[in-house]
Amino acid sequence: METVLSIKGLTKNFGRLCAVNQMNLEVKQGQVFGMLGPNGSGKTTTLGMLMGVVNPTAGEFSWFGEAPTSGIRKKIGAVLEHPIFYPYLSGQKNLELNAMIKECPASNIANVLDLVELTARRDDKYKTYSLGMKQRLAIASALLNEPTVLILDEPTNGLDPMGIAEIRELIKKIAANGKTIILASHLLDEVQKVCTHFAVLKKGNLVHTGPVDDVGKGAETVEVQADVPNLSDMLLDFSGTASVNRENGYFQVTLRDDFHSKDLNRFLFDKGVVANHLVTKKKSLEKMFLEILSEAH
Amino acid sequence: MLLHLLKIDLKKLTSYRTFWVVCGLYFITIGFSTASGMEFLKWLASLIDNFGQKINIERIPLYHFPDVWLNLVWWSGFFKVLVGIMVVISISNEYTYRTLRQNIIDGLSRWEFLLSKILTNLLLSVLSVVLIFFIALITGFIYTPEINWSYVFTDLEFYPAYLLEVFSYLSFALMLGILVQRSGLTIILLLLAHLLEFIIKTNVDNYVEWLIPYFPMESISALIKMPLYRYAFQQIQDYVDPLSVVIATAWMVAFNYISYLKLKRSDL
Repeated sequence: METVLSIKGLTKNFGRLCAVNQMNLEVKQGQVFGMLGPNGSGKTTTLGMLMGVVNPTAGEFSWFGEAPTSGIRKKIGAVLEHPIFYPYLSGQKNLELNAMIKECPASNIANVLDLVELTARRDDKYKTYSLGMKQRLAIASALLNEPTVLILDEPTNGLDPMGIAEIRELIKKIAANGKTIILASHLLDEVQKVCTHFAVLKKGNLVHTGPVDDVGKGAETVEVQADVPNLSDMLLDFSGTASVNRENGYFQVTLRDDFHSKDLNRFLFDKGVVANHLVTKKKSLEKMFLEILSEAH
Repeated sequence: MLLHLLKIDLKKLTSYRTFWVVCGLYFITIGFSTASGMEFLKWLASLIDNFGQKINIERIPLYHFPDVWLNLVWWSGFFKVLVGIMVVISISNEYTYRTLRQNIIDGLSRWEFLLSKILTNLLLSVLSVVLIFFIALITGFIYTPEINWSYVFTDLEFYPAYLLEVFSYLSFALMLGILVQRSGLTIILLLLAHLLEFIIKTNVDNYVEWLIPYFPMESISALIKMPLYRYAFQQIQDYVDPLSVVIATAWMVAFNYISYLKLKRSDL
């Protein structure tokens, strides 16, 4: 796969504070790449450097294998932090201005306004928009030049649940078209739902990168309930059981490596027990994230 | 490319109501103050009349060719501060709305962003010069008793000098805006610049008098000197001093270069 973004030793110091420390990272084409980290972990600073608004202290990065220039930025769609537009201009005029800056045809404006459902409000001044509309206009602006790479920094910040769902659907729709997306967020659920890969930052250090699918790997937990009195003992008899806990009226069985829920199910069935509740519980990104953060110092 | 950058900045300004209000004020104040020049002379005459003396205002050729060129260009110089304030508002808006940051993210280079502002400054300067030229032309034709064409085309070198004066001043305003980033404080500094420089000048003129023509505000206003002394039978400088042009040009370049350095180095 083609490398879209390659970062080598990228560092940013603000006085004595090290915001980003010796970061190395690669993003390949077609990935939906989530950048996770607590507030102040250096996500926005990193994206700011990638988009030319923050001067790196040391290190380098390349887009599509080329050294970064303003010309390359024109091909990337980016929304950093919160939406930024001229408040006294209408949505339409703001996009016209952005089209001029990005040197792309103004005929795209109607399409992107349709996509984010702002066509009806396009002639109203930006300052009259609600927060959700501002976010959507920012996404429209990022999509204006039909970019192959999209950078979104907390795109659902401050939105109501419906707005969050809308933006999430929009991201999935865009990703389905084969676009590479870099998504910074502290909403782990969001990243798990839309991302293919993720990286975790802590105090400016990159402490983890990998595919989101790997999150579920490792020891499996199975939630079981059956109408037999000695279920607990039977579960302990299973050779794949590492431990059994009782929680919320269900038995939580943690399995040893290389054992899966279907093995447990077969074991119970062979014993003549039919479970009326059996759920494989994948480890959530949230749990993994907290583990990663507590391990990294 | 240059035209493209200019269009970008004009797109921001032309939908901004404050821009039109300031431009309107500029036009109106220059137009009205010009129109009321003769009234002022009449008032002056009546004042002097009260002291038992008489002056013949017909003999003061304030608006006659070629005097009108220099008189109006000098008088309009006071109103360039209005355009300067507009430039400050335009640049500090980019900081307060954070649109400067977004412009860079969207694909302008920092130099292109600055260039779009400098080009607007140039356009505003040219428009000022054209505006004053036409006001002077019309006024000249109204008040000059006998049109002598060789007089009509005398003293026009003050117009290129005025262009340099306004453009240098707007470059100064832009630089202040980029350094300070807040409109209120920048406007105050812009208004105080002459006064601050005057205080420094009076403190140093006993020691390093030769240095004074090199001060920025002094060099800008030395391009076109006060012409009214000529009506008091004194000699005035009725030419543009090449040294002033060199100094003012140097400052103009320096202002824009400082803007560039500051913009290049800062994290937005």
